[in-house]
Formats: sequence, C-alpha cells, structure tokens
Amino acid sequence: MKRLTILTVLTLGCAALTGCSSLGVKPWQRDILSRSDMRPNGAGLDDAIDEHVYFSKEGSSGGRTFGGGGCGCN
Amino acid sequence: MQLKPGAAQLRRRLIAASCALLSTPPARSQENPDPGLVGRFLQAWQFESALAYYHEDGRIQAVEPVVSASHDYGDGGNVSLNFTFDALSGSSPNGALPSHAPQTFTAASAKSFASARRVYTTAPGNLPVDPNFSDGRAAFGADWTLPLTRLSRFTLGGKASIEDDFYSTTVNIAFAHDFNNKNTTVSFGADAEGDIIHPVGKTPVPLSDYAAFSREGDKSKTGAGALFGVTQVMTRNWLTQLNVSVDRFTGYLNDPYKIVTVLAAGGDTAGYEYENRPDSRTRKSAYLENRVGGAHVSADLSLRYMTDSWGIRSQTAQIRMRLWSPSRQHYIEPTTRWYHQSAADFFNPWLAAADAGSTRYISSDPRLATFHALTYGLKYGYDLGDRLHRSNSEFTVRVEYYRQTLEVDKPVPVALQGLDLYPGLKAVFVQFGFSY
Repeated sequence: MKRLTILTVLTLGCAALTGCSSLGVKPWQRDILSRSDMRPNGAGLDDAIDEHVYFSKEGSSGGRTFGGGGCGCN
Repeated sequence: MQLKPGAAQLRRRLIAASCALLSTPPARSQENPDPGLVGRFLQAWQFESALAYYHEDGRIQAVEPVVSASHDYGDGGNVSLNFTFDALSGSSPNGALPSHAPQTFTAASAKSFASARRVYTTAPGNLPVDPNFSDGRAAFGADWTLPLTRLSRFTLGGKASIEDDFYSTTVNIAFAHDFNNKNTTVSFGADAEGDIIHPVGKTPVPLSDYAAFSREGDKSKTGAGALFGVTQVMTRNWLTQLNVSVDRFTGYLNDPYKIVTVLAAGGDTAGYEYENRPDSRTRKSAYLENRVGGAHVSADLSLRYMTDSWGIRSQTAQIRMRLWSPSRQHYIEPTTRWYHQSAADFFNPWLAAADAGSTRYISSDPRLATFHALTYGLKYGYDLGDRLHRSNSEFTVRVEYYRQTLEVDKPVPVALQGLDLYPGLKAVFVQFGFSY
C-alpha cells in the first residue's frame, strides 16, 4: 500500500511537471511577476512577524516556510 | 620678469589643459565622491526594518524591533542577516478556570506559598492571569544562498535565540532548481532545531500538585522537519505555489507555567495540577498560495491545512489585496485571515478529581482548544524610491485586529455556571516599517 502511494505520488508529480511545461511566460513577459508584491514570500518581515504572533497564540504554525520555532512562547 | 608665450605655444597649452581636464580623476570624484566604507556598504546591501507593537486586551503587550539586511552577489548568490528583539510584559493566563470564589496563586519563581515574594489573587469571575509576566528575547539568523548552476541553488542557514528561560538553535538547508524556462521551481529543504528550557523557578513536575512546588531541572527538546515546494508561473499575471511539509519534535513539550483546575464532584475547585503533554509531536501541512497581479492591483490568497499527532486539525485562509495609486507612489493593502482548529486529544478545561490519578496527559491551554480566529488588517505603503534615489525603498504602517473565539462545548458543572470560562482573546497590532 505504501509502495503504491509513493508510485502514485511520483507519477502525479512527473505528470504535473510535464503539464507545467505548457504553462508559463517568456522572459520579456515578466514585468508584473518581477514586482516584489508578486514574489512568493514577498511580504518579508510582515510574514515573519505574523508567523511569530500566530505561533505564540495558535496550535499550528508554518507551511509557508519552516514552521515557527526558536521561541519559548508555545 | 614675465614671459609672454606665443599664439602657437598658447594653443598647445590650452589643448594640453583640455586633455588634462577631460582625463583628470579629481573632476570625476567631485561629481561622485567616494562614499566611504559605510556608503559602499549601504549601496551594496538592501535593508528592511520594522517596529511592531502588540497589545492584548487586558493581558500581554509586546514590542518587537526587527532588522534584516541582504546582499545579492549578482550571480544568483545571496546572503541575508536578521536580528529580532522582543520585550514582553503584562498578564498571562495560568491555565486555571475562573471561579465564584477568590483564587490565590504565586509567581513562578516561588518555592512555597509561605516564602513567595509575589502572591496574586484573582477576583471572583475573572480569568486567573499571572500579572508578573515579563520576558525578553533576542534572535539572530543568517542565510547564505550559493548558485550551483544557472538553474539551481543551495541555501545554508541558521538561527539562534536567547530568552530568559529558553535557548534555541536551528540549522536549515534548501535546494532549488528551475525548469521550463524558469517558469517552474522545485525546492526541497530540511531543518533541525535544538532547544533548552530553563523555566523561572525550575521545571514543575508534570501532573504534580500546584501547592507542592515539586520542581525538576532544565529540560530540552529537539526537532527536525522537511519541506517540499513547487512554484509555477501560470500566466503573466498569475503565480502559484504549493508546499507540503512535515516536522517532528521530541522532548519536553509542556508549557512549564500552565496549570489545570481540579474540580471536586460538585464542581467546586479542589486544587490545581501542572499540565502534561505527550513528549513527541509530528505535524504535517499542505500550503497553497496564489498571487495574481495587474498594473495597479495585486492579490495574494493562501490556504493551509495542517494536522498533527496530538489530534489538532487546522484550516487557514488569508487574502491580501494591494491597491496602488495611479502614480504607484502609494498603496493600501487590506487583509483578512480566517483560522480554525480542532482541539488536541488531551485538551481539557479542567480535571475531575476522580480522574486525577488515571489521567496521563492534560492541558487547559486555550491554544490547544477548539477555536476560530479572525484577523482584519490594513497596511499603507509609501514609495520612497524617488526621494532616496533607491528602488525598493518604502515606508509602511499597518494595523491589525485579531480576535480568537473558543468553541468548547463541554457541559459546565453547576458550581461554575454563570462564569465566562472561555473568554477568548482580542489583540491589536501596529507595525511601522522602513526598507532601504
């Protein structure tokens, strides 16, 4: 069962990567994507500070990057 | 005696002087004076700073200055450093329930009720909070990204933080590779963390009677995690990212300052015990982020599902929308976040005295309860690029309101009826930011 799950994930992963090849833009079409507000994790310190607040007040953390930690507040 | 040069000689001298002027370094240096060591450093690095103030209604307040600096080497390499300081003070819930009678507790440093320097009494109907809470935290982190090929890079990072009662170190590595003309990025990262817990007044013995002041030495915990992510450019206006992650912590996972009310059969308070949580926790999460943008607007929608071995299941949805002025000099960014979690298997707002001997794990920490939380926020940004002659330079201010509502549906004993047992949490958050 575990082997089947791994095989399925690998197959779907390869299919997704192949499918992704038809997506995307040319280098000269990246004007909007190059803006800081369009970058993944582009919120910088805002996200880091938010993560710290939510880490100290909720039972879940992370997902966007590594999950919080480094603080005795939870 | 003064010699008067002839016309040809004068012409030669003028030509020589003109050439000297055109090639003279001092003339250039007057236009662009050497900025000096500090100036060159400021030109080569990008800085981001923030000052955050967090205030809970009647409880904790915190001030958090953060500074980060990063430098791009131009070949895909990058180094970034960040420093954070927290100063917290105020009143922190100790885990006990409100009661119709006054309740007396001691500060965490006490060795007995008789010798305690600080004793506090909670008035009837109020949530017991330790009014002496105070903590400071300093954290330093660094990341170094090294290009391996034109399409792949490796990152090595580390973080260390020190608190009055907690020391933590983390190392992390990550590998990322671009495919499909850099429209697809696949990344994999792993981290490891080691913490030492050094509670004020030493570590209370789990499940021990609060009035017995049974204490142990310092504790530790370790953790390791892995994260796999795919980022895909969908169109000229749309970027999507999917992360899946898993981490596991083992060791001392209790909150050393949290107690649980022990209730007698009729519901009257019979005493308090220190909480106890399992000594391992495994968490898994899936995170999806979509960013869409136009000329003067962009939006960021993120969704997260997380589950852990303690029985907590959480769902998070957040949307941010940035609206630029026509000149792109100003922007506003409203945000809304919704969060819901189910309770940990061992969460219990109180411990029945009859179960005290047989209960292995228990915590009344509201962070492990079933609750939902809403955040509303607004950010304003002013582009300073023209004024400071530097791109990516801006001033920002943001205000957020956070409200947590507990959803505990356990039947309430008669002796506790009429009390607000689960008051939830309201907090306001203000942050000023400056990047250069």
